[in-house]
Parts: sequence; structure tokens; C-alpha cells
Amino acid sequence: MTTRKSGSRLETEIERCRSEGQWDKIPELVRQLSAKLISNDDLGELLLGECKLQTYLKENPIKQGSSPRGPRPKLVEVRKHLTAALDRGNLKPDYLQEASLLMAKLCYVEAEFRDALGHYSRVNLDDMQLASAPVYRLSMIAEAYATKGLCLEKVPASSPSLSNKNTGSPSSNRSTTDREQEIITCYEKSGDIALLYLQEAEKALSAGIQNRSPKPGPTTQEQELGYFLETGLQRAHVIHFKNGNLTQGVGRFREILRAIETRTTQNLRMTIARQLAEILLRGMCEQSYWSPLEDPPSVSPLDDPTRQGHTYIKNYSLSRSPRVYSGENLFCPQENTEEALLLLLISESMANRDAVLSRIPEHNNDRIISLQSASVVYDLLTIALGRRGQYEMLSECLERAMKFAFEEFHLWYQLALSLMAAGKSARAVKVLKECIRLKPDDPTIPLLAVKLCIGPLHWLDEGEMFGKMVIDMGEKAAEFRAKGYLAIGLVYSLKATDASLRSTQEEYQRKALGAFQRAHGLSPTDHLAAFYLALQLAVSRQIPEALGYVRQALQLQGDDVHSLHLLALLLSAQKHYHDALNIIEMALSEYPENFNLLYTKVKLEAMCRGPEEALLTCKHMLQIWKSFYNLTNPSDSGRGSSLLDRAIADRRQLNAMTLPDFSDPETGSVHATSIAASRVEQALSEVASSLQSSAPKHGPMHPWMTLAQIWLHAAEVYIGMSKPAEAAACTQEAANLFPTSHNVLYMRGQIAELKGNIEEAKRWYEEALSINPTHVKTMQRLGLILHQLQRYSLSEKVLRDAVQVNSTAHDVWNSLGEVLQAQGNAAAATECFLTALELEASSPILPFTIIPRAL
Amino acid sequence: MLAMDQGVVEEWLSEFKTLPDSAISTYAASLKDKGALVPALYKVIRENYSDLLEPVCHQLFEFYRSGVPQLQRFTLQFLPELLWSLLSVSAARDPHTSGCIEALLLGIYNLEIVDKDGQSKILSFTVPSLSKPSVYHEPSAIGSMALTEGALANHGQSRVVYSGPHLQRETFTAQNRFEVLTFLLLCYNAALSYMTTTSLQSLCQLSSRVCICGYPRQQMRRYKGISTRLTVTSEFLVQLITGIHYALCNGEVEVGSKALDDVLYRAQLELFPEALLVGNAIKSSLHGAALKSNNKEGTRSIQVEITPTSSRISRNAVTSLSIRGHRWKRHDAVDLGSPDELMDISEVEEGDWPVGVGSDVTPPTITISNSVTTLNLGIKAIKKCRLGGRSSKDKEAGPLTAVRAASESAELSVKRLTLTSSQSVPKGGALTSLTRTASAVFSRSFEQVNSGNGPAGNHAAPEAARYSCSLQEDGMGYLSPMPNHTQRSPSISVHLGSDL
Repeated sequence: MTTRKSGSRLETEIERCRSEGQWDKIPELVRQLSAKLISNDDLGELLLGECKLQTYLKENPIKQGSSPRGPRPKLVEVRKHLTAALDRGNLKPDYLQEASLLMAKLCYVEAEFRDALGHYSRVNLDDMQLASAPVYRLSMIAEAYATKGLCLEKVPASSPSLSNKNTGSPSSNRSTTDREQEIITCYEKSGDIALLYLQEAEKALSAGIQNRSPKPGPTTQEQELGYFLETGLQRAHVIHFKNGNLTQGVGRFREILRAIETRTTQNLRMTIARQLAEILLRGMCEQSYWSPLEDPPSVSPLDDPTRQGHTYIKNYSLSRSPRVYSGENLFCPQENTEEALLLLLISESMANRDAVLSRIPEHNNDRIISLQSASVVYDLLTIALGRRGQYEMLSECLERAMKFAFEEFHLWYQLALSLMAAGKSARAVKVLKECIRLKPDDPTIPLLAVKLCIGPLHWLDEGEMFGKMVIDMGEKAAEFRAKGYLAIGLVYSLKATDASLRSTQEEYQRKALGAFQRAHGLSPTDHLAAFYLALQLAVSRQIPEALGYVRQALQLQGDDVHSLHLLALLLSAQKHYHDALNIIEMALSEYPENFNLLYTKVKLEAMCRGPEEALLTCKHMLQIWKSFYNLTNPSDSGRGSSLLDRAIADRRQLNAMTLPDFSDPETGSVHATSIAASRVEQALSEVASSLQSSAPKHGPMHPWMTLAQIWLHAAEVYIGMSKPAEAAACTQEAANLFPTSHNVLYMRGQIAELKGNIEEAKRWYEEALSINPTHVKTMQRLGLILHQLQRYSLSEKVLRDAVQVNSTAHDVWNSLGEVLQAQGNAAAATECFLTALELEASSPILPFTIIPRAL
Repeated sequence: MLAMDQGVVEEWLSEFKTLPDSAISTYAASLKDKGALVPALYKVIRENYSDLLEPVCHQLFEFYRSGVPQLQRFTLQFLPELLWSLLSVSAARDPHTSGCIEALLLGIYNLEIVDKDGQSKILSFTVPSLSKPSVYHEPSAIGSMALTEGALANHGQSRVVYSGPHLQRETFTAQNRFEVLTFLLLCYNAALSYMTTTSLQSLCQLSSRVCICGYPRQQMRRYKGISTRLTVTSEFLVQLITGIHYALCNGEVEVGSKALDDVLYRAQLELFPEALLVGNAIKSSLHGAALKSNNKEGTRSIQVEITPTSSRISRNAVTSLSIRGHRWKRHDAVDLGSPDELMDISEVEEGDWPVGVGSDVTPPTITISNSVTTLNLGIKAIKKCRLGGRSSKDKEAGPLTAVRAASESAELSVKRLTLTSSQSVPKGGALTSLTRTASAVFSRSFEQVNSGNGPAGNHAAPEAARYSCSLQEDGMGYLSPMPNHTQRSPSISVHLGSDL
């Protein structure tokens, strides 16, 4: 710096230092300056005054909320410099204005508010040129407006009646409003110019860096705004909100956010974006919303009606305003959730970026601060996305939070819940495990995990583990204890269905029954406990006891569909078919679109009222299916919603899939050996459940699966009527959807049998078994055919396998008896016949397990 | 019911009937001034057996059908009370009384599910995307962080349906009841700003009662009405929570927080993830904000203060952003660095660990870099690499391109590798904190979440990481990045070593 600088270069250097706030360099530059021309002395005074004032403020920053206290000894020198600059009057008009502004600022710092206002009135801020002003002057003007606003707030309005402003006299009221208007205008102008200044400063800085690139310039440290600019940027909306003037406050927020961001405004933008999102979510609704590019409504419920007099009208325009985001195809939100989401996604990207990853103790505070600010953003995102049911997107967002969520229970739990709501069950269970580790005594978490394990995942061993956790909590689990027993009962009950060994089956059934009894004992008013107890008793064919509990369940919850269904099945097991049909019809009046009930109805009608009635019900089902799913049928509406598009994709997938299995009409729940097949089904039903929230919650949920099932039921009715051609046509409809389903193949076998083609039937049955080796009905038919073909030992083997899978299938026992008889094993045959007879007496029209078991 | 109330209601009933069409809008505006009317109507709805109930319901429906927003909102304000009336009657299995309320609610529902042309209404909204410019941002300023796989997959905004289409309903059944009620609440929530405090209170009361009736908490709340449990759905609870949230933030702190607690209680018992998710988020987001039930100073409690604009986070803390910055320093160092320097590093890392590293740091994070710098170790290095790579295991299980892709976690791990292998960067604290963070974050969180990714993922990650390492170290491109997920032959790394 020892080299002399030529005049213009020196001036540029001074301007740069003033713009970049490098006050320590000013004295040296002033020395060089005054050496050149005498007339520069005044400018020198101005610069020295400025640099001393700014340095003082940097060392003694004014804090928000505190007000200046009075004269400061350190500032005496500043006043001397500025007075000298002003008094001689040799300065160019621009510099003279600057000197006045600095003087006013000094007055404010020394709490001489009226003097400060006096200086401002002399300068007339509105006349100052923004268009070609150097960068530092923009900052000066912005600060001046803010300071003026601050002074106006301090100095009471000239009206004498101000001290008691609630006297209600119109003149005083008006002057208060005028005053308020003036104050807000000052702040808003200050904010606008401050934004402009920051944009220009950043532009100048990047240009400067490019010009001076070889020299590793002084560390371009982040600029700090300082008290005055911070106030200018924020005080306007603070006043709006304090006055209950939400529309103006929101408008101001939007103006600030629409201005192109600079490094210095990043934090401000993040805060404001979050605050605006909060207001959009907490204080607005769809009907009171207006888009950022629209004018706000003249009357809005958002504004406090009691403070109607304080409405503020923006009535200024600056000759130069901050640059805003512009261009073609700019996304502009049209709804409060959209805007909130956009703002939150922007905040999230910033919060995520600033998240402190370091875990060393020195950074602990920083980490907690960044975690909290990110946490708030994620909570708001959850609120916004939850309202709109966008759980999948939410789970992706929360996933991003995981890199700093180590040991943070709340974020982990929210991630787990979002995964669960998004249908990502397997991951949800894994995350829930971590949640259990972080909060081991909350019974809800393991229960949520069991719910997933029993339902979509069919992870029974894991489910058992989670269920035991709840039970082990004992009394601590309080109301959830009963739920824990219920959960573990369901796990055992499902395990019993899966078990292939009769002894294991019985063992699990016993355990399930015990658990359900505990649950019922702990929570006698819970209809689910009574219902599952009844169901378990029904499965183990204790029909009268089951009837007792199902009645209890119905007393607690009169319109529970599963209880009604179970009651009907129990009545059918007692061969009261007409009563059962009445119950089903009653249930259908409350649940007209429940296909599970309708399937049972078809069976019962075929039994009581003849196949024609049953066929009518099948037709009715097809109509319901159409009206139910046609609405969401993507093929005839070009709405192009992503959810609906997914349904179309599924349709294509279905044909490509090798193992499409729809829920077996024989067993409502999944069987262990067909898990591979059922996985596909589960995946489909998850899509389906997100597709139509109003779809029946249980049973096969994919529309196409339901359709196939309806056709198969119709085919069965036709077989019962000995009409192979019609049955074949129905089966073909189902086959078009699921060509390799074992149920379709089984049905084809039956049709072939009906036509007398034993060999063909055998082939179909064998194919069905190759897809699902534990399909009992197929095994029974195959056994019969083998019997007819006199291949007794093979027939016996098949039937024995079938009995192993399902020991309560009476027709299998009967067939087995016949085979044994044909082989001359009369004693064993008799036993089989007796078992068959006994089972038949308690056999429902459809297996009890058709009723879904879920938590 | 007092005679006076009855008079007010009767006057209201007759007044509207005689109104000419032209006067409806002025009439709608004047409804606000009828102070005694609204409380009287609440009484009529609460007293189920009142003779006035039927004409009142009829007139409320007429209001709604008129299409005049003020009149529609006048009807909507009674929705919570009407819902409770319907639910409590259906729970008590009292067949006859709620007929006209049912008709009113179904009427509103059937009006709202269709648009002006009688087509099924579909409520949809646009999911904003940071990869498209908006009035508030420019994609380039956001940086790669937001451009995750998911964001790229559905590039641009997508329009998403959140409600509808719905079927017309003639009667309430157990099956459709909550579907209809959920939709009605959605309509109510869309007009929340216009609802009176009484209506909001009534909503909170409805939420509490629906959720606790028949449960042990009912005694705690000392509510003596019906005591049978009401079935609810998760979607219905989410809509209730939306309304409660508004009430909570707009003056109804006491009833609001009680209602939120009750809904969360029920959601826990029913194991509803959706309701728990939103409810927890509201609770946690309001936790810090001191809510004031400032009944005197108007109802709104939204407050904003001036906040400091400078970052409250100290500059030397390692953040996601600062970690990204490290790469550029590293590039400079590579340009200047000589092979000798690199060899030195490997020796340092074999033996000493930079000062200040606690015992809790898992050493394997360093051995990755060994496999890069001391390549002649051959198989041993590979083994170490695999061991160490475990901590960088994450979603990115693909080839090099996948590592290079914007996925942030992968990027992070790559950077850690470059950092640890260089000596020009480590300045005590930075490295220490970095490795600590990395090991903490990756080994704990991701491993536990992603351990179900299958063996393929486990193998691919370290290899991919190693590739990008070597490429970054010296810019060699001839190592063809073909990560067959089987064992890498050690010969390749020997080949690399000769080049160093």
C-alpha cells in the first residue's frame, strides 16, 4: 500500500473498502487522499467519521430489543469529524447527503431521536438516487430508512393527545394511523433497498474476485448485516403481525422471499420461509388462501377484526427494486399446502446442508441448534404432507434427516411411522427396532412392529419377539398389555395355520387361545379380544363356546363386520343355513361392498335358495366391482395422476408375473408354503390400499384380484349346476387376469372332471399343485381321481398330505377313508369316516380362516 | 330450551323463506349480527328431540345449496356439532332421531363431491419440486443435495390426487360412514379461517369424545355421555388433527391440546401410523413455541420476532456443506503433491493415528485409504478394504456412476476417503471430527437401517468407493469400472500400484 495511487484509482479503492466494510484501511487511504488536494479534506473528515462510527458499532453492536442509551465518549471524535465535514459546505451534494445520514445515525446511537429525524427531513431520503448509486450508498440509504423508522417509533407523534391514544377522537386516531403507516413504509423501503444492496454487493464481490484472481485476496468473509439492516429487513413484518395484520405480513414475507437470494440473506430466508410455512399451515386454509402473484383479498378472515383501523396500504414504489426470481414456467403455488411444501422443501435443503455432523463435545451446542432447526422443518413437512396423504414422499424426506438423527428418538420414530404409512413395511420394522432401542419402555412401538409382522410381512417369529416385549413390560404397559396378548395370540393363531405338523398346530392353537383369554380378561370391553377368542374357538371347532364370545363381541361393537361374518359362519357350522344367510344379509346392509361377505352369501344362497339366486349375487358383485373401481379406472380418464398411473402399471405387471396368486378363497390368511406367491399379493394390496383409501380394509384388495375371485365364484356355482361351458367361460375370465393361479387351474380341473375327462383333470390338478403344493382342495380332488384310477397308495399319500396341511377338512378324511377301504384297511377307514363325520357336523360353509386376522 | 331461543330460531326460519333472491347476499352478510341465533341453533342440534331440529336441518341445507359462500360457511360452522350428534346417536343405537341430521350431512356430501357440471370432483395438488424454478428459488442455488435419486426420478412437479372421486351416497352405512365424514371434515378444514371460536371448540370437543368414549380415559376426562366405543379410521383422525392444529394455534390452547392428546391416545391404541405421525409432528413443533391463549388480545397467536440473520452455527463445525467443501482443497493438494508424499502418508497411517483421536473411533475407516496408497499389499489390502468399506455401506450399491451420482451419502463417504488418505488437509480437529462423525453416522445409522439390503449391496459399496478413490487420487481413467459383484482379483490393484 505504499505506492501512491492515482486519483481515480484511489477513489475506486475507497469505494470498494466502504462497500466491503473494510474500515481499518480507510485512515491510510484518507492520508493518501488529503495529500493530493486540499478540497479533499472535507471528504477525509466524512470518511474518518464514517469509519470510526462503523468500527465503534462493530465493537459495540446494538442488540435487538435494547434501545440506545445516550451520548458515548468514544463517539465525540466522530461527531467532530462529521460536523467539520458538514459545516464547511465544500462537499459535493452526494457527499453532503452522506454526511447528513451519518450524522443522523450518530444521533440515533446517542439516543437523540428528534435530532436524527431533523437530519433526515433535511436530506429527504426519497430523493436519493438508487439507480446509479455505488454499492455502499445503497446500504447507507437502507440503514437510513431503518434508522428513521426506529426514531419515529421512539418519538411520539406530534399530536398532543397521543399519550392517551384510546380516547377515540378521530383526529388523534388518524394521526396514529398515519404515523404507523409512515413507520412501516420506512421499514419496507429499508428492507427493499437492503435486499438490493446485498444483491449488488455480492455481484461486485464476485466481479472483484474475478478481476483480482491471481492474488489470493483478503478472505472474503461472510458479511454481517448489522443492527440497522437486520431491523430494516424484519421490523415491517413484525409490526404487521403484532397488529394482527396477517395478510400484510404474509405479503411482506413473500416479497422478501421472491428476491433472489444472496449469501448473507440465506439464514434470513430460511427463517422466513419456515415462518411463512408455519403461518400457511397454522393460520390459513384453502378458502382464505391467495397465491403469491395475486393481490391479497380486501377483506380477509385472517386479519384481526378488532384492529380494523390499523390496516396498512402499501403506497410507495422505488426507482430500483431488488431483483426477483423470474423467467418462463416459474412454478407458482396455487394452494396453501403447495406453498407451504415449496417453502419447507427450500428450508429443508438449507437446514439439511447446515446440519452439524460433528459429534465432538465442542460442537455439541452447534449440533443441537442445527438439529432443532432441522427438526422443526421436518415436523412442518410432516404436517403438510400428512394432510395430503403423501407418506411416500414424506418417508423420503425423513430419510434425508437420518444422517444427523443419531440417537434422536423423535426423528427415528417419525421415519418409522412414515415408512409404515407409505407401506414400506420391512424397512419400517427395522427402523422400529432402533426406536425400541432408544425408548425401550414404550409399548406402542413393539405393537406397531407386530402389526406389520402379522399383516403385510407375515414374519411370525419376529412378531412373536415383539409381542413378548410388550408382555414382558407387565404392568408398565398399562392399557397396552391387553393389546400385547392380543398380538401374540394372533401370532400363534397364524403360526397354527401355517404349521404342517398336527401336534405343532395344536400346540399353537392352545397358546393362541390362552393369549386371547388373557387379553379378554384384561380388557373385557374390547370387542377385538372377544372376537378373536371366538374365532380361535371356532377354528378349533368349539362352536357353542365360540358363539358365546362372538355374541359378546357384537354387544360391544354391534356393527363390526368380522364379528357378523363369524356369527354367520358359526351358524352355518351348526347347519342353520337360513339364519346364517339372514345374518349375512343384515351385515351386507351395513357393508354393501364387502366382497368377503358376498362370497359367503353366494355359498349360502346356492345352498338354501338354489344356484340361480347365487348367480344373481355374482352378477351383483360384478356391478359393485365396476362402480367401485370404475371411478379409479385409469383407462377411461386421462387425468394422469401418478397414483392412477401406478394402477395401470400394475395391470401390465400382472401379465408378466410368473406367480400371481390371489387370496385363496379357502384360506383368508397366508399359508407358509405359499409365501412366495403371497408376497406378490401383499405387494399388490399395498399399492391397492394407497390407490383407494375407501377400499375394504381386509381381504384381497387389489381390484383385479377381486375381479378374478368373483369370476371363480361364479364358475363354482355353474359347476354346481353341472354347466361346464358356462363355468369354463367364467374361469377363462379369471385366467385372463391370472393365467397361472392355482385356483384357476383347480377350477379347470373340476370342469374337466365334470366333462368326464379324468386324465385332463388330473393334469390340471397336478399343475395347480406344482404352483401351490399345499392347496388342500386340489389335493382332495387329485386323491379322488387317483382312487378312481385305482392308484390307491399314491392316492392315500396325497390325501394324508392334505390331512397334514388341514386336519379339519372333513371331505379329505372321507376320501381317505374310501381309499383305505378300497385297500382293505377297514379299521383305519372306519376311523377316518368317523373323523369325517364328526368334523362335518361342525364344518362351516366356508373355512373360518377366511376372516382376516390383523391387529 | 328457552322460549326466547325458540323465538329467535323460528324468526330465522321464516325470514329466509320470504327472502327475494336479490336480497340473499345482503342477508348473508347480516347473519353475523344475529348474536342470539347461533347459540340457539347449537341448542337445537344438541337437543336431539327438539321439534325444531328438522326445519333447522332443512334450512341449513338450503343455505348450503344456495352456493353463497357466507351461507355455506354458516352451515359448516355447525358441522362438528352435527357429526357428534350423528355419531353419538348411532353409537347408542337409537334408530330414529338422527334422520334429518343424516340427510343434511349426506346432502352436503353429495353436493361437494361433484363440480358445477355434475362431474365427480377430484381434489388434487401439485407436489413442488426443487429441480424446477419457482417464485422462491432457483434450482442451481439449491445444490446437488436436494437432487437425490427420488427427486430425479420424478423430475419436475407431479400432480397428485388427495381426495376423490367419491360415490354418491343415499344412506349412511357402517362401511361408508367414515368415508363420508372424513370428506365432510375435509370441506370444513378448507374453510377453517372462517370458523368461529365456538365452532372450533366444538370440533375439539368432538375429537376428544370420539376418541375416548368407552376407554379408561373417559373417566379421567369426566365425560358422562355415551360409553360405547366408536370405531374410527386413521384418515378421519388425521382430518380431526388438522382442525385441532388450527384451533390450537388460534387461541383454543386448552381444549385444543386436550383434544390432541386424546386423539394421539386413541391413535396409539389403534396403532394408526398416519394419525400418530401428524399428531407427533404437531406436538413437537408446538413444543418450543409458547402458545398464548390471549383471549383478550384477539384470537390469533401467531407471533414473529426479529431473528439474527447470521448463522448461529460456528464456522468450524463440520456440516454437510462444509464436508463438501473439503473436496476442493483435496484436489488442489493432489495437483501439487508428488508420489513420494503419498507414500509417506501410507506409512503414517500404518502406524500412528493423528493426535486427538479417541478410542471410540473405529479404525477401519482409515484402512480404506491404505488400500489405495499401499496398493502393493495385494490381497491383504483388499481384505482390509472390505472390512473398512463396511462403514460406508449404504443405499448406493451400484457401479461407479452411482457413486458419482448426486446421492449425498455416497459422496460423503468418497470424500472421507480422499481426506483420510491425504496429509495436506488434516489439521487435527478437522480430521478428528470428520472421521468421528463419519464413523458415527455411517456405522450406526445406515448400517442398522440398511442391513437388509442383501449381500450384493455389501460387496458393491466398498468396491465402488475404492474405484472412485483411485480415480480421484491420480485421475487415472483406464481402470474400467465394471463392478461385477464377485471377488475382485487382486491383480488389478497390483497393476495400479506399479503406476504409482
